[in-house]
Amino acid sequence: MVDVSQHELVPEHTVLEDDELEEVLTEYNIDRTDLPKIKRNDAALPDDAAVGDVIRIVRDSRTTDQSVVYRLVVE
Amino acid sequence: MTNVEYDVDDDTIAVVEDTDLPRRLKDNVYETLEDRGDATVEDADELAKAVETRYLDTRVDPLDPVGTVSAQSIGEPGTQLTMNTFHYAGVAEIDVTQGLPRLIELVDARKTPDTPMMTVYLEGEYATEREKAHEVVWKIEATKILALGDVSTNVADMRVQISLNEDTLKERMITPDEVAGIIEDSLGVQTVQQGTEIQFGPEEPSYRDLLQLVEELRDITFKGIEDISRVVIRREELDNGNEEFVLYTEGSAFGDVLEIEGVDASRTTCNNIHEIHRNLGIEAAREAIIEETNNTLAEQGLDDVNVRHLMLVADMMTNRGEIESIGRHGISGSKESVLARAAFEVTVNHLLNAAIHGEVDDLDGVTENVIVGKPIKLGTGDVDLRMGSTTSGSGQAD
Repeated sequence: MVDVSQHELVPEHTVLEDDELEEVLTEYNIDRTDLPKIKRNDAALPDDAAVGDVIRIVRDSRTTDQSVVYRLVVE
Repeated sequence: MTNVEYDVDDDTIAVVEDTDLPRRLKDNVYETLEDRGDATVEDADELAKAVETRYLDTRVDPLDPVGTVSAQSIGEPGTQLTMNTFHYAGVAEIDVTQGLPRLIELVDARKTPDTPMMTVYLEGEYATEREKAHEVVWKIEATKILALGDVSTNVADMRVQISLNEDTLKERMITPDEVAGIIEDSLGVQTVQQGTEIQFGPEEPSYRDLLQLVEELRDITFKGIEDISRVVIRREELDNGNEEFVLYTEGSAFGDVLEIEGVDASRTTCNNIHEIHRNLGIEAAREAIIEETNNTLAEQGLDDVNVRHLMLVADMMTNRGEIESIGRHGISGSKESVLARAAFEVTVNHLLNAAIHGEVDDLDGVTENVIVGKPIKLGTGDVDLRMGSTTSGSGQAD
């Protein structure tokens, strides 16, 4: 199987810890269900991610240096 | 202290790093300062402050209708896109849909593009040696019987005769045995093989069956990937002056190609956003949408469309973890408001269904409020201003 995370189109995906998640949600003042979604069977999802987890994605941004976004894992 | 690769002194770095600028702009500031050479710390401070002010000024204001602005910013140049469907793209004489049809294809999120193609990068010696690169080509390009030899029908004996070309076989690394085996497996006939000659025929002598067999024989893929009809090999120059071989394919099978030995699975791409989504995930699909829309516009000389608009489109299309089209089957069709949906396409159906299901419209969005003639809740429309009824008197007003 090909290591998808090595592809240049795929940014870094990491599972967010609970306390970090709290910080993010308070910062934006949102619920976790307001976040963009990522499917459970997504090819780039880390192996240890489960439904309900939030994934932190660090993209090389076109407009700034790096941009950090979050996605909620859904069925 | 952050590492700065420009030749400026520490005080200058401190001043610039202190501002609220993104990395890229800071680097631009350093570059300018470096070019000046004689800039003092005060000059640096002034410059950095000026850039920062301008940067903060140009950020999107709260309640700005970014979606509408994006729609207009893509829509206007869109009127100048060519309506010609086909056009050979500069590289590698491969037919690719461009201009308006391609843009429509992307935002409609079609399952397969009109002209699927892949750009296959190679790794190691596969990228530098032509022989090796060709090995990969034969693993990818679909090889049909007509490429391997001549087919003739002997009507008197009711036999199909194939005489294979030995050179081609050697080049494509396939033996007559293998060819015969594949024919037996896929047509269910017994073959007689002598050297490079292969013969077979229908069980019962029948003219129709014979022709049928020839038809089916032509469709068999002996080597390579069925969906890929043509591969063009090109030598391209790298940034560091070296050269490498790159393959361009007509037709795509992204997942299969990534697995092939010699293919660089970190750079190879295709123009089908669904294949990218399936194999690399939703984030890669987002990147691909931006890249493809941007390239389509740039190809037509419309690269002054700000990439932020395309990023917004891509963000919307990938928001739910799968690729959704813009339009009534996708994003517009899943809007909360009945009136907003009805305003887009097939008005009557939406209104009728809404009536049957007793839907309620809360008039929260923009379109709904335009329809009923209320101020929209955007920009200055969202704030209520009232003339002060109490005197602020002592001048404490701010």
